[in-house]
Amino acid sequence: MNSTKNIKPEGNVVEASQLTKKFGEEVAVDALTMEVPHGTIFGFIGPSGCGKTTTVRLLTGVYTPTSGQVTVLGKNPVSFSKNDREKIGYLIQRFVLYPDLTVWENLNFAASFYGVNPFRRGHLRKLLDFVELRKDSNKRASQLSGGMQRRLSLAATLVHNPPLLFLDEPTAGIDPILRRKFWDYFKELQKEGHTLFITTQYVGEAADCDLVGVMYQGKLLMVETPENLRRKAFGGDMVRIRTTESIRYENRQKLANLPFVRGKVKLISDQEIDVIVDDSSTAIPLLMEDLNAQRLNTETVEQISPPFDDVFVKLIEMEKVNDA
Amino acid sequence: MMLKFITRIFSFLNKEIAEIFRQPALIVLLVLGPFLLMFLFGLGYPDQNRPLRTTFVLEDQNVPPEELKLFTESINPSIADTQVEHNKANALAKLARNQTDLVIVVPANAVETIQSNQQAGFLVYHNEVDPFQIAYIYSIANIYVDEVNRRILESATEQGQGSAGELQAGLEDAIAKTQDLRQTIPLTDPSTATQVDELLKTLNATHDKLRQFRSMSSSVIVNPFTSAVSGITPEQFSPTDFFAPAVIVLLLQHFSITFASLSIVRERRSGIMELFRVSPLTAFEILLGKFLTYLVFEMILAAILSALIVWGLGIPMFGNWWHFALAVFIVLFTSLGLGFLISLISRTDTQAVQYSMLLLLASIFFSGFLLDLRLMWKPITAIAWSLPATYGIRMLQDIMLRGAPIPLLIFSGIALIGIALFILDWLILRRNIEVQYSST
Repeated sequence: MNSTKNIKPEGNVVEASQLTKKFGEEVAVDALTMEVPHGTIFGFIGPSGCGKTTTVRLLTGVYTPTSGQVTVLGKNPVSFSKNDREKIGYLIQRFVLYPDLTVWENLNFAASFYGVNPFRRGHLRKLLDFVELRKDSNKRASQLSGGMQRRLSLAATLVHNPPLLFLDEPTAGIDPILRRKFWDYFKELQKEGHTLFITTQYVGEAADCDLVGVMYQGKLLMVETPENLRRKAFGGDMVRIRTTESIRYENRQKLANLPFVRGKVKLISDQEIDVIVDDSSTAIPLLMEDLNAQRLNTETVEQISPPFDDVFVKLIEMEKVNDA
Repeated sequence: MMLKFITRIFSFLNKEIAEIFRQPALIVLLVLGPFLLMFLFGLGYPDQNRPLRTTFVLEDQNVPPEELKLFTESINPSIADTQVEHNKANALAKLARNQTDLVIVVPANAVETIQSNQQAGFLVYHNEVDPFQIAYIYSIANIYVDEVNRRILESATEQGQGSAGELQAGLEDAIAKTQDLRQTIPLTDPSTATQVDELLKTLNATHDKLRQFRSMSSSVIVNPFTSAVSGITPEQFSPTDFFAPAVIVLLLQHFSITFASLSIVRERRSGIMELFRVSPLTAFEILLGKFLTYLVFEMILAAILSALIVWGLGIPMFGNWWHFALAVFIVLFTSLGLGFLISLISRTDTQAVQYSMLLLLASIFFSGFLLDLRLMWKPITAIAWSLPATYGIRMLQDIMLRGAPIPLLIFSGIALIGIALFILDWLILRRNIEVQYSST
């Protein structure tokens, strides 16, 4: 599925500046500025109702912005030509295909309205293989499970092989195993050269993205790599220290006073603490040295990645403090 | 470019046809339902007048009831199951109980009334509420009285002819005697001879007229003129024949409107319109695709239905099948335009169905299906001529029953409405897809 023709291998496929959308007095998207580089998986994360879908609709040309500028594939989405639209795949949040049609008929319909060559049976079969629905191709969409319907929708989104994909909550409401599978599909699509703009409520999925935009109450709080998000949330890398004996208060105080340690030392259990450091690669040897000096028998000292749920909560809390 | 355009348009053909064929019961209903309706309609309305159970009120006890029955039933077969009552109140009570359809009160002392230079009146009572049945009874009553008058006049004429026979014999005697008298007049009195010759001439002329009068049939004297009505259509039609083209049109219009009205409203509610908005599909392609799909499907449906009606029920088809197909095509095209308009302005399926039903009712009342449009108050005919069924019924009746070509003026009228509806649908759909989502 080589799909990168007509798209510059470098540069941004999406550029938005001060993009704002209001519905009456309500501000759904507030002065959003961001760039999505070609070939990336861009995760757009935020709680329900924070403006993710509105942003996708602004980027696909469904909505006209109230103010600000946006270009997608170098064009204003509102004035996309047919050719421009053929370069975009859009997966809507809910299942919008036809429940009375079979998997094959739905996919064939999607292929037709995207103007895909009528001699396309092989291509459609490959797509069904990709989303693992080949053996279900004669089932009606109404007989599919929620996860299978999402896979069918994904296949319909890919049917014209678009270089840029907007996937609005593709994993919403499906079980963790299938969610993992979806992310495997996305990684595969990225390898083939597609750029993916994916919204999700599942904060943990941020780890699979190249770049993550954090959205909250219509505002884009930041766009970072997953690792940098963690660092921004906690002020540095997190290192977990496990010892064979109890870690006393004085020990923790000493560690906290080290110049490369940020903030408080968090007690996890009697023999386990978490420390935030500027840079784990240089800090871990120094930490081990200090623990030895304190005559604490260390079992492990390692960098850990805190769950993105915690990262997200931390970021939102920081935003609230900033707002206050 | 053109291949993509065609591919996009035909995307709807496969999709819509597949969706329709997912409901085989619906297809059976669409084809067999109307056929069965027409069949039962033909069975239920044989081409016969309704006989009226009639009770005569004879206040004159001298008229023998059996004689009256024979006389009446020979007058008009629509007056049937004749009974005689001597009490008007009893007869009216039977009418109220629906034991009789008509009560006719025979005038008492009719002969005396007529001899006193007055008309004697039959009083006719009924218990109908249907204006068509009341009109039927009026017509039966008029026919009845006309026939009674005619028979009385015939009888009087026959009596006159009998009396004329006696006069004729006297006249012949008078002629013979006058001829004898003429022989006795001397040649020297030419003046008297001339006067007698004139008298003989007058007597002979009167005799000839009397002979002519007696030789004429009494019915010719009473009813010198008759009328014969015949249509210039190839055949006289039964009610089923007459209604068949209108039923075909009404059903096809209703199917088209219902299918189309549900089509877009469902897609709008499902959310797929948003996908169309982002895709290369345009409003024109969506609309054209849907029009073509339903036109193909319903033309096939119309062909099957028409074949069943013409060859299954024996409904006459005197016209050209190509003209028939063209008329059906334009009715379907315009009805689809109307259906898509409903779909585009409806918020829910229920609303769309309600609008479709309203249109069906309007078509039944205003299209000329029930009542002739020529009876309609002129300003109201504007409603009639805004409905595809009005045009369709005219066209199919002309083609099927009269064997006429497609009426061009009517065809042009409906075609203009159809094209206008297509453009309106396109503009609204374009606005729905391209502007609705963009509103701030």
